[in-house]
This record gives sequence, structure tokens and C-alpha cells, in this order.
Amino acid sequence: MNEKDLVLRAQVGDFDAFAELIGAHKDKIYGLARKLSGNDQDAEDIVQDTLLKAIDKIDQFRLEASFGTWLYTIALNESRALFAKRKQTDLKPIEEYLPGGHSGSHETGDHHRLFDWRDPGSVLESEELRKKIDLHIAGLPYKYREAFVLRYVEELSVKEVARTINESEAATKSRILRARLALREQLSEFFEDRHDREMS
Amino acid sequence: MTGKCPEYVNELNDYLDGSLDSGICAEIEKHLGKCQNCRIMVDTLKQTVKLCRGGKEESLPPALESRLNNLLKAKWDKKFGKK
Ligand SMILES: [Zn+2]
Repeated sequence: MNEKDLVLRAQVGDFDAFAELIGAHKDKIYGLARKLSGNDQDAEDIVQDTLLKAIDKIDQFRLEASFGTWLYTIALNESRALFAKRKQTDLKPIEEYLPGGHSGSHETGDHHRLFDWRDPGSVLESEELRKKIDLHIAGLPYKYREAFVLRYVEELSVKEVARTINESEAATKSRILRARLALREQLSEFFEDRHDREMS
Repeated sequence: MTGKCPEYVNELNDYLDGSLDSGICAEIEKHLGKCQNCRIMVDTLKQTVKLCRGGKEESLPPALESRLNNLLKAKWDKKFGKK
């Protein structure tokens, strides 16, 4: 049975049709929720709230959008609602993440040389690094995390992210960049510590 | 070197994602050729995204799935008035 038929049946009360509809998307929704929340408990809450909301709103679903996109949008809204209740700190201004963030020469100034970890080798595979990354993404203030995850993990275009989070493209780009700079800085510390440990 | 490194900051992400027009790209690359910190910055920013992308595919935990099924069915029956 195609999606349209399943939707029409679900809308008149056929639970099996609804179950089949969500079945095709539940892993994707869970993956999104897991990335956005960074932990299992919140991810489960987001998925649960998303599917309950989908039942509430199933009558309002119009066939112009795909069911998957509709569900995805509900999940983003539920995730945002969950984190809106929690206190968020802000990230530093972009300039403060950059080297030589004020005028002057690097060579003569007192700027410290950035640690270069572009080729971290075997550590790439490590479980330790994987956990660190998830933790750092989860630690970003929500609005940055959301923009970053949608852009680079979910691989939407900047335009699509902007539309999804209902912000201008300029504001979206700025959020994505700040998230990226913050994560880079944290990873840098991780690799530098590791390097120091190995040297000592 | 003169000038401030963050001069290209507004273009930085577009540059990293390869969506910047070639004139500005060339300017940034000229700067990168002379400025080691900026070069490290750019390389590690690229690496950051690569690492963040590398997570494993998640799937819904089976325990959650069966708990959800019961919950959804109950809500469904309530909405559509079944006993
Ligand atoms: Zn520079």
C-alpha cells in the first residue's frame, strides 16, 4: 500500500496503517533526537512526544508534504520545546574563537601558536573520541546545536536549515559557524591534552 | 603580516564548505599561505565537521519500541473512540 493510502486509512482510525507509516521513519526520528539531545533519555522523550503529537494531528496532515518530512518537523519542534525549558548559556562571539583576534602580527605578537591536529591518526577510531564529540555537541547551547546538527549531521543545505529553524540565512550561517568554532576549540583541547600526555 | 586575521570571518564557513566565489577564495588562500595559525584553524575546522559526521547510525531501541507501541495504541483508541 502506498503512503497516500496509508495516510487516508490512518485518518479514519486504522491504527495498523499509522503504525506502518511511522515504522518507516522511526529510526530516522530517533537518530535525529539522539543527535539533538545527546542522551538516550531525552531522545526517548522526544520520540515519544513526537509520535503522540502525530496522533493528535494526523487529521491535519495534508498530502502535499511527505509523511516523513511532516514527522521530522514535529520532532524538531518537540526537541526545541524540550530544551527551551532548560537554561542555556551563550557561546563566545566569533572573533574570540579566531587566531589573532585583534590587529597585529602573529609573528611578533604574543599570540600562541594553535595546536595542529588535522591528522590525528589512530585516535579517529577511538571510542573515547566518539564519546567526547557527542558530549561536546550535546553541550552546545541548543540553538547552535540544532543549526550545526541539521547542517552537518543531517546534511541539509544552509537554506533548508534556515527554513527549518525559521531564521534568516545570515543568522543561520552565523550559528553554524559559531558552533563549528566552539567544537573545534574543544576538540583542539582534547588533542592537545592527549599529545601532552603522550609526550610526558 | 598586516591586518586582522578575522577579516574573512564572514566568508569563513562558505569558504570551508566550498561555496564561495573564486575571487574571495584566492584572497583567503593567499592569506593562508602566509599565516600558519589561520591555516591550522581552517584545517582543523574542516576536520571538526568530518569527526562530527562520523557517528554510527542509531536505531530505535527495541524496549522503547514495544513500550511506545502500547502507549500509541492506547492514545489511538482513545482518539478514535474504540474500547
Ligand atoms: Zn591569519
